[in-house]
Amino acid sequence: MESAKNAWKIHRLTTILLIPLIIYLFVRIIHFSGEPYQLILEELRSLWSILFILIFTVLGLVHMRVGVNEILEDYIHDESAKKVINFLISSFFIFILIFVCLSMWLILIF
Amino acid sequence: MVQFNLPDNSKLTDGDYYKLESENKRIKKFKIYRWSPEDDKNPRMDTYEVDIDDCGPMVLDAVMKIKNEVDTSLTFRRSCREGICGSCAMNIDGTNTLACTKAISDVKGDIKIYPLPHMPVIKDLVTNLKNLYKQLKSIKPWLIKQKQEATDTENIQSRNDREKLDGLYECILCACCSTSCPSYWWNSDKYLGPAVLLQSYRWLQDSRDEERKERLKELDDTFKVYRCHTIMNCTQACPKGLNPAKAIAGIKQMIAQQ
Repeated sequence: MESAKNAWKIHRLTTILLIPLIIYLFVRIIHFSGEPYQLILEELRSLWSILFILIFTVLGLVHMRVGVNEILEDYIHDESAKKVINFLISSFFIFILIFVCLSMWLILIF
Repeated sequence: MVQFNLPDNSKLTDGDYYKLESENKRIKKFKIYRWSPEDDKNPRMDTYEVDIDDCGPMVLDAVMKIKNEVDTSLTFRRSCREGICGSCAMNIDGTNTLACTKAISDVKGDIKIYPLPHMPVIKDLVTNLKNLYKQLKSIKPWLIKQKQEATDTENIQSRNDREKLDGLYECILCACCSTSCPSYWWNSDKYLGPAVLLQSYRWLQDSRDEERKERLKELDDTFKVYRCHTIMNCTQACPKGLNPAKAIAGIKQMIAQQ
């Protein structure tokens, strides 16, 4: 018997944390509209922006991972198929995280 | 994988048409699911015309009239005919409900009646509820005390504690909620479903029960409780107006607080 208490808690917690972050993200996007490219780059290079993007990405990915796992539990009943799909999805999410980190690094050095 | 299509031998065909010779214009058509294990035929939809001026007001009255006067082979469960026993639960006009409390006048047009969805059919409108009863037994739906007390004393409960059971003890286990839940359709072998979880919550809320910790430990499983995604079909379907979805949310909260 596998406990699902922690996955449930993580899913709820990330949902609550993501609400203000998504609102803040929209406010920032609207605020940036019409601004010169250089100014936006400067803003993105600030410590706060980097922290925000990283926190947002990690929380979003964790939330998505738990959510996708719920769908897998619902519809995929074959254990070996579930393992393969789980591995592929985890790899995809790790790829996204690496991609975001690389993007941040590129913004910082150029 | 979940099976999304019906197998060939489960596909519905048009059945017999039982026309009523009557001058009355208030005739209602009842389209009823028919299947018998005694032959190899696919399930069919038989149509019966019923004079609603010569029939009781509820769907169960019409179904009983059909059985008594038109087609004695029509098979269904019924007992109390007043919404207490839960025997006549069936899918009427697209909703799981009790035939005895569903008024004919509530349905516009023809009345389509099917057995409870996603359950093995024994015959016509009778489904096999063995799995549900097995799951009910697994949650120990009875009062558990740590030490045996004298049986001649009452288990005293405060008025406030008793009020916590309101909206829970009224469940008649008709299975309308569980069989309307898509999560129960996909995982009925492992997910307990709204009816059983409402019963479970009823015992978790009982101040006299001394097995709460153990009960919660048993429920903390990926499948038993957490397949509920708050779809709310259960609450929508409950013919007694109960709220199984809220009870399941209560169980999740209790497990999280443990």
